[in-house]
Formats: sequence, C-alpha cells, structure tokens
Amino acid sequence: MFAYALSVMASFTAPEEIGTNVQSLLLLLPLLAAVSVVYKATKLSEITAITFLKESVLLFGSIVVFMVATALVLCVVAWLVTG
Amino acid sequence: MAVDSRENRALLMLTVGLAGWLVPGGGYVVLREYKRGLIIFVAIVLTLCVGLYVGSIGVVDPVGAKLWYLAQILSSPAVAAVGHVTAVGEYPVYGRPNEIGQIYTSIAGLLNLLCIINAVYMACAGKIPEGK
Repeated sequence: MFAYALSVMASFTAPEEIGTNVQSLLLLLPLLAAVSVVYKATKLSEITAITFLKESVLLFGSIVVFMVATALVLCVVAWLVTG
Repeated sequence: MAVDSRENRALLMLTVGLAGWLVPGGGYVVLREYKRGLIIFVAIVLTLCVGLYVGSIGVVDPVGAKLWYLAQILSSPAVAAVGHVTAVGEYPVYGRPNEIGQIYTSIAGLLNLLCIINAVYMACAGKIPEGK
C-alpha cells in the first residue's frame, strides 16, 4: 500500500508524453466539464441532482458547440486568406 | 447593535473568503451549503490534480512563470508549498505537457477565485437559507 502511494506520488514528478496532434485537443473536454460543473454549482439557487446534472450538461454542450463553430469559422477564414 | 451586526457580517465574510482559499469549497461549508461545497471541492481539486499529473509539479513555477503562478496559487496555499519545492528548478517541464498542465492548474485557481467571490457575496447579502 505504501509502495503504491509512493508510485502515485512519483507519477506527479515527471510529465506525461503528449504529442502535438489532433487527439491532444480532447484534453479540452475534462477542463470544460470542470468549468461547467463549478459555474453551475455557483449559479443554481437550489442544488438537486437532476437539475444540476441537466444544467451542467447543457452548459458543457453549449461551450463545445460554440468552440467547434469558432474553430470552423477560423478554418474558413484561414482557407480564404491563404487559399 | 447595528455596529455589532455589521462587524459580525464583516467577520463572516472574511472567514468565508479565507476558508474558500484554504480549501476549495470551504467558504460554502462555512455557510452550511455542504452539497455546493463538496461539488466545488471535487471539481477544483480534480482539475488541479489532472494539471499536476499531466505536466508534473514542475508546472508550478514561481520563478519562470510568475503570472501563471499567481493564478495557480488561488486554488489553495498548498500550491505555494509545491512552488517552494519546484523553485530550485529540479523539475523542468517543456512543450505541450507544460502548456496543458499550466492551463489546467491556472483554470483551477481562477475557478476557485470565482467560488470565493460568490461565497463572500452570499455571506454579504445574507443569502443563507433559513434554518441553516
């Protein structure tokens, strides 16, 4: 148990390998989930499981959709400028 | 009496702000908003830990990345302890892991700032449900 705890702590002393590829963009999703959860936790007057989950998922989805739309617009602009 | 009440409120606001900084979600626990406090604690600590895991503790760099450090330390004073360890430069981290780690840990700090401000506002406005 102690050895396991030490190995867990040691994993925090060396960085993970993350390539500069498209898959690395998926690391955005847990961050968005945290932002949605914390924001909704501060904004809802009464926290019940269903309302909280529904509101958080809605906010998470809206941010993802908005970011994808922004990325598409930027791609089109880049294509128009360079192509 | 009114002065007493104003002083009590100021003391409550100070306690809530300090508790929120010491432990993420702690401000809400002082206000007896346990569910809210627990959700915020889990979300912020997880975000901070993911950042430290991906980029290593080297992403907390009080010497080379002062602005990032300012945002990171808003999560908890524990980050200052990590910064004290990493300040000597024994844990270098570069490139993508550094970016991702810094973004995660800094966002965790800024989210905690949002929670501290919200909890202090609740304490100030007296938005504590009756009977709690």
